[in-house]
Order: sequence, then structure tokens, then C-alpha cells
Amino acid sequence: MTDEKPSEAEKPEDKKAEAAKPEAAKPEVAKADGAKPADAAKPADAAKPAAPAAAAAPKPAAKAPEPVIPATAGKFEQFLKEHGIPAQRLPLSLEVETIVLSGDVLQAALRLLRNSSEVKLDLLLTISGVDSNDTYDSVYHLWSYSNLDELVIKVLIKKSDVAEGDLPAVPSIANFWSAANWHERETYDLMGIRYANHPYLRRILNPWDWEGYPLRRDYKQLVDCLNDKNPHSMR
Amino acid sequence: MATEIQEIDLKTDEMIINMGPQHPATHGVLRLLLTLDGETVKHVEPVLGHLHRAQEWQGQNRTWFQYQALIDRVDYLSGMFTSWAMARSCEQIDGTVVPPRAEYLRVMVSEMNRITSHLLWLGTYLIDLGAMFGFPFYPFREREKLFDLFEEIAGQRMMFNYIRIGGVLRDPKPEWFDKLKRFLDEFPDRIDEYETIVTQNPIFLKRTKGVGILTQAVAKDYGVTGPCIRSSGIPLDLRRTKPYSVYPELKFDVITFDKEGDTWDRYMARILEMRQSIEIIRQCIDKLPSGDIMGKKQMAGMRIKAGEGFAAVESPRGILGCYVISGGGEKALRFRWRNPSFCNLSVLHELLKGCPLSDIMAIFGSIDVILPDVDR
Amino acid sequence: MSQGNMSTTAKPNNPVVPEELRESVTISSIDLMIDALGQVLSPVLSPIANLARSNSVWPLTFGTSCCAIEMMSVGMSAFDISRFGSEVFRATPRQADMIITAGTITRKMAPALITLYEQMPEPKYVIAMGACTVTGGMFNDSYSVVQGVDRIIPVDVYLPGCPPRPEGILDALLKLQQKIRTENYADRRKKLYAQTSVRPVDYDTGRPLADLIGVVAEDTKAALSSGQEALGDAAKGISPEAEEGKVVATKPVAPKVEVPKAEAAPAPKAEAAKPEVKKVENTKDEAAEKADDKSV
Ligand code: SF4
Repeated sequence: MTDEKPSEAEKPEDKKAEAAKPEAAKPEVAKADGAKPADAAKPADAAKPAAPAAAAAPKPAAKAPEPVIPATAGKFEQFLKEHGIPAQRLPLSLEVETIVLSGDVLQAALRLLRNSSEVKLDLLLTISGVDSNDTYDSVYHLWSYSNLDELVIKVLIKKSDVAEGDLPAVPSIANFWSAANWHERETYDLMGIRYANHPYLRRILNPWDWEGYPLRRDYKQLVDCLNDKNPHSMR
Repeated sequence: MATEIQEIDLKTDEMIINMGPQHPATHGVLRLLLTLDGETVKHVEPVLGHLHRAQEWQGQNRTWFQYQALIDRVDYLSGMFTSWAMARSCEQIDGTVVPPRAEYLRVMVSEMNRITSHLLWLGTYLIDLGAMFGFPFYPFREREKLFDLFEEIAGQRMMFNYIRIGGVLRDPKPEWFDKLKRFLDEFPDRIDEYETIVTQNPIFLKRTKGVGILTQAVAKDYGVTGPCIRSSGIPLDLRRTKPYSVYPELKFDVITFDKEGDTWDRYMARILEMRQSIEIIRQCIDKLPSGDIMGKKQMAGMRIKAGEGFAAVESPRGILGCYVISGGGEKALRFRWRNPSFCNLSVLHELLKGCPLSDIMAIFGSIDVILPDVDR
Repeated sequence: MSQGNMSTTAKPNNPVVPEELRESVTISSIDLMIDALGQVLSPVLSPIANLARSNSVWPLTFGTSCCAIEMMSVGMSAFDISRFGSEVFRATPRQADMIITAGTITRKMAPALITLYEQMPEPKYVIAMGACTVTGGMFNDSYSVVQGVDRIIPVDVYLPGCPPRPEGILDALLKLQQKIRTENYADRRKKLYAQTSVRPVDYDTGRPLADLIGVVAEDTKAALSSGQEALGDAAKGISPEAEEGKVVATKPVAPKVEVPKAEAAPAPKAEAAKPEVKKVENTKDEAAEKADDKSV
């Protein structure tokens, strides 16, 4: 069993690398590939902070994908930028616009997208946690009750930024959007993303004092007499 | 949530009652922690996860081909829809073109599935309201007929695994359509039969009229979808508002009510939806083109291109979405379900606040929650 | 002859009590009398009682997931379980004779199932319906699923299928009826004692109590060995018990209370987790001997 584990962990990386090749312009995946060299870390850093000084940084990054993505790019990206919220569009999406926000502007951005009369993205479909190669992503799927708009928002937290024994933190939106409440609890439960200031952040699906976050890649299952013929377990 | 209770100035002693997880009317294994003030519900805290079978984890650890068979269990009353949601999101990533005949067959079987789902809801809802072992015989009679039809095309009564990535599994024989037509001819009469018993039944009216009113603001806040929100006057039906598959070619209207819906409206919405489904299936039979039924080779080592996709279908309970991240390999990197029951259930504590104890089951039943769909 | 004498002396003499349970089962004189009477009357009464019982097996409405829908179908007109006398689905375990465990049992649900089983009056039967409850089925390797309901309660009839067809349920019911008809009184009594083979599961963690107690024992051991002097005399008082591993299983609360004591002397949690795996294998071996839960 133990030999299997590393090989499984390697696979996804390979796949990601393959995925990156056809669309060489992807900034995100490119980062994932060359995360170790020091130069590659710089653009990643530049994209992250929401400080006004770095507001110019997303633009050069966003230029690169333009040849790949058709001209419709960035309706919501534009909208958010007009309101002073730095947003960066990802080229990963097929049809749906996907933007990356930094955690500290998330609440403001979602408030805006939900309530402004122009966009009205007022149906929060789901919040999913994703354990990517070197980030934990909190992914928000926004639809609208009244029009056909769709938007995917990603908040990426680099694994290297998360302190040992700590959980990646994202601000909670459950305080002003009730739909997020259970989704955030679930993501906390299964993926171990801590939603700061959540009104009631407890495990929702697993028992209350479950150990570990089952959907993370490094999760090892518990073995006891209820569950002992398990190929994925710790043995 | 929990803090809200403490803010209220309480005069009487509160009583905390545990309902479930084993309770005949919780449709499985939901547990409700009720805080009661006398007969009035002060607060409800649903405790989920008694049926958490790790479906998402399974999605990451099974090959695409294997997981196709598993997802019927996500929402076992409408397995066609879960299969369809997964198939659509994978096709979206993969760029698979689904043959038109397969699309029509998909619409047909899933509308049939919608009927079976609503029929079961009808039966169990009446049990919830106290019509033990009398009424439920009627809807189950028709369900069995549909199950026989499903069995002929899929080989299973409930876990169909019929809609596959790229198409559908089998082409029905011509006799199958005759049987289906015969069923469709008699089914409207059967619905009339249910309605004669239930719709204007004074006891039923008393239990449901004006009970559990779901206002639009609350519904939107909690992301409620499906018949629940349509009966509250928001015309959100993916089949019309964001049409997918061949729904644009079919004629039907979104069923909504003008006012903000109560429990009875939610009942009525489902009855009307069953009638609507009959019409949709009829149109499909008429328009069914000939041709291929599968656009992707079904084999154990099937692969999906790298990328991510989100696709949703309108299941009997609301928007059922499937968010897939594929790395181009045999397994998915991440599989995420957007389950309508999970979101609809989260509104329960708003609906139950202040209602008498006896209404809990009437309101809870009317949301139509399926527990594996909540817990996965 | 006083009662106290009787209960102490009678233990080894009673043939019905299984060897491994003699320590823990207390038998009153009334029990013994009933036993004796039962043995004598068994040839006459058993066939009559069995016939009556087998034709009126009332199931509990216990359904967790998909299989429950087929269980409902079997009650409806197309399959009509009432032909075999089992149409009375009871909502309370006190009135039921049988559980059809229809649907997956997860760690979170396991304690509730055990409680239900224990609340049912004797004689009680279990049909494990569906692949999920037979072995864990399709969710066999999930982190949250109990791999077969026979790991927590004793099962009479296994009914595979996902979900089994309603005809399959009827078949299982007929098999169970056959089993009931061939039963005799003494066997039943044995089964009653074998009830202790129920493996309790903790309500909070969803883990078997035996394992948890093992963990706590390890913790105390570690704490005692590292901080004997710091803990003082009181700790020494507990030590022999903990070292022998004779923490009594019937008191699930006790080990929980002891946890803070362990933390006084820093016994890191990572350490506690490792020995736990070994512990598990121990319990599994013992499970084969049918006397697992008491002995850890
Ligand atoms: S055996 Fe199959 S049908 Fe039955 S509960 Fe398990 S998954 Fe559902």
C-alpha cells in the first residue's frame, strides 16, 4: 500500500503539467509548474496582494491569455475593477468567466455582485474547496435568479503560506448570505478551509470531533474494527 | 444561529427535543434538534451527515467509468438526473457531441424519472400527514409501471446507470414506446384520481393551507431552487431559463404561482409538473430522430480531457449541479456536487420558526428532501 | 439457599451462558427457573410458538437510503409483503421483531442503530439488506462507512443486491421464517447472551468504544510512565487497572473523563495515534473469538 501512495500523489502533477502545455499562456498553471524556481514566485506574489500599489500587476498578467480566449473576456472583471476591486481573470474556464480574488476583498466583491442593479448575481450555487497542487482554492459559483449570467470566483491560498498546524483562512460570507452558511461548514469539514468569522463553524457531515480533512490529498483513513479492509487506509 | 436564541427574552422554560435520526417521517436519517416553547417551535438545528457516504471522495478515487455507476446513489429517487449532470459536465470539458437521438432519449427518461420521484414524494408526504397505509398505494401502483419500463431499458429498477458520458446506454425497442404511450394515456386519469382524494380534502387543506410560507427574499437568500421556489413565484426553471439539451425545441411553460407559496402550493406545483412531464414525453416520442445513441466509447479506461466544468440540470428537487476538475487522467481531481436538497434544507429553520409542533412534518415534507442528496 | 449464593454458584453450572461471558453475566434465580422450565417444555412449546412467531414478523421502519425505497415498494400492492404476515411496519423498536437494515450505515448512524437494536425486545432478528450493509458494498472504502452491519450487530440473513429486488426481500423474509421455525428455546437463550457481541460505537466520534478505550489506556500508560512523580499517589491508584487493560467497557463515560488527566503530563496526540493502530489489530483478532468488546 505504501508504494502506491507516492505514485498517486505524483500523477496529478503530471496531469497538470500536460494540461499546461497546449495553452502555454496560462499564468496560473505555469506557476504551478515552476513553483520551485525563485523567479516564478515573483509573478505569483505580484498577483496576490490587493494593495493599491500592486493594482497594476494583474494587467500584464491578464494580457497574456488574450490570444487564447475569445474577445468576450472580462465582463465581471471590468465591473469589479470599476468599483476598485482588483480582480484577475483566469483563462482556465471554457465558457464561464472565472476570476481570482484575494481573500480580503472577497466580502466586498460578493456584496457588490449580489446587490448592484447591473449584475445581480444573487444565486450562490455552491462553495467548493479544492486541493490543488500548491494551493487551497475556495471556489464560488454564482448564478442569477433573474438573468443568465454566470461567474466563478476563486480564492487561492498558497500552501506555503499556511503555517504548520494551521488551516488556510478565507473570510466568511455567511454573515450576509445565508446560503453560504452550510456550504462553508461543509468545505471546512471536508477540505479544512477555515472561514474566518463564520457564525457557527463546526463540522457538518462528519462527526463533530472527527480528525483530519477527508478530501485533502494527504488524508489517511482511520483504521479500526469498523473499517479495516481498506486499501486507502494508513496501513 | 445558536446565538439568536440567547438574545430573546424568555419567559417560559424551553424544551429541547431530539427528533431522529431514526424517525419514520424524516425520509431517512435526518436529525432535528428542536427547541420548543410549549407547542411552538423556537429554533431548529438540523444535524446532517448520518448518511455521509463520501460520494465526493469516491469521485476522486474511482475511474470515470466506475463512478458513473455510483452516482445514481447520490439522489436515488432521480438517478437519471445525477447521471445527466455528471455526463453534461464531463461532455463540457471533453467537447463530446451527443447525438440528437440520445438527447431526446435523455429528456424522455429523465422526465419519466421526475414523475416517479414526485409520485414517491406524494405517497410519503401523505404518510407524513398521517394518511398511513391507504393513500400511498395509489402512487406506488403507477411507480411500478414506470419501473418496469425503466427495467427494460436500463436493467435496474432504481439505479439506472443509463445516461452515460457521451450518450445513453441502450436504444429502446419499438414496443417499449408503445408501452410508454399506453402509460401516458392512462396516467392523467390517475393523477385526477389522486387529486380527487387529496387536493380538496378538508383535512389536507387544513394541514397545508397557509402553513410554511416561503417568502421570496428568504428563498433567494438561502439559494432555494426547484418546485419550492417556483411555487413562491420565482420562475427559475433551468429547462426554460437556461435551456440545455433539446428543451428549447419542446413546448412547455414554467409553472409558477403569483403569490408566495405555502405548503399546499408546493404540493400543487408538483402535481402540475407531473402533468407537464407527460406532455414533454409525448412531444419527445413524436420528435424522436433516428440515429446513433452514443458519442463516446464506453470502456473501463475512459479518459476525460484536462479542464474544469460545471453543469447543472433541473432535477425534481431543484438545480442539481456537478463541478468536475479533470487532470486528463483516468480519475477526476475533484468532484463536487451541488445538491438541491442540501440547499433547500438549509431554509428549514426559517420556515419552522414559530410554527406549532404538528406542522413540522407538513412543512419539512413539502420541501422534498432526499437524505443522500443532502449528505452525499 | 440465599439468592446471593445461588447467583455466584450457579454461574459455572449454567450451560447456556457462553464460556467467555461467564464473568460478566449475572443470572438471577428466576432466570434459572425459566431456563429450566423452558428446557423441559421446549419440545412441546417451541413448534407452536415458532409457527406463530414466524408468521408475524413485524419489521421496524428502519431505512437509511436507497434500499429503503425498495423496502417501501415491497409493502405496497405490487409485491404485498402482507401475504407473509410482515406488513405491519412499526415505527418504534419496542413493537418490532426484526430490523431490515435498509441502506448504508455510516459511523455517525452506527450508534443509533445499536440503540435501536438494543431497544427491541427479544426475540429479535436482523436482515442485512443491500450490498452496503452486507460488506459496505460500493462504499466499502469510504472513510465514513461501516463495512458491513455485522460489525456492530449480529445478523441473521444476508441479502445482497444494490438494491435487492422486492422479490429478494420476500425471499430473505422466507429464509428468516424458516430459521425461526427451526429454532429451539435454548438456542434462543444463547442468542440472548450473544447479544453482548454488539459492538458499541461512540456517539461523538463514530469510533468503536473498544478502540477508544484502548487509546485512553495507552494515553494513561504514557502519562503514567512519563510523569509518575508529578501525578502523585492518585495516579498510582489507577495504574494497575490501566496496565492490565481492564477498563470496563460498560462505562463509556469513564475513559472520557480520564482524558484531561493524561494531558497533565504532555502525551502528544501524534504519539497516541500510532499505538492505536496496533491496538486495532488486537481487537480484530479478538473479534474472531466473539468476545471483543469486554476484553480490551
Ligand atoms: S446497497 Fe445500494 S441501493 Fe442499497 S443502500 Fe447501498 S447503495 Fe443504496
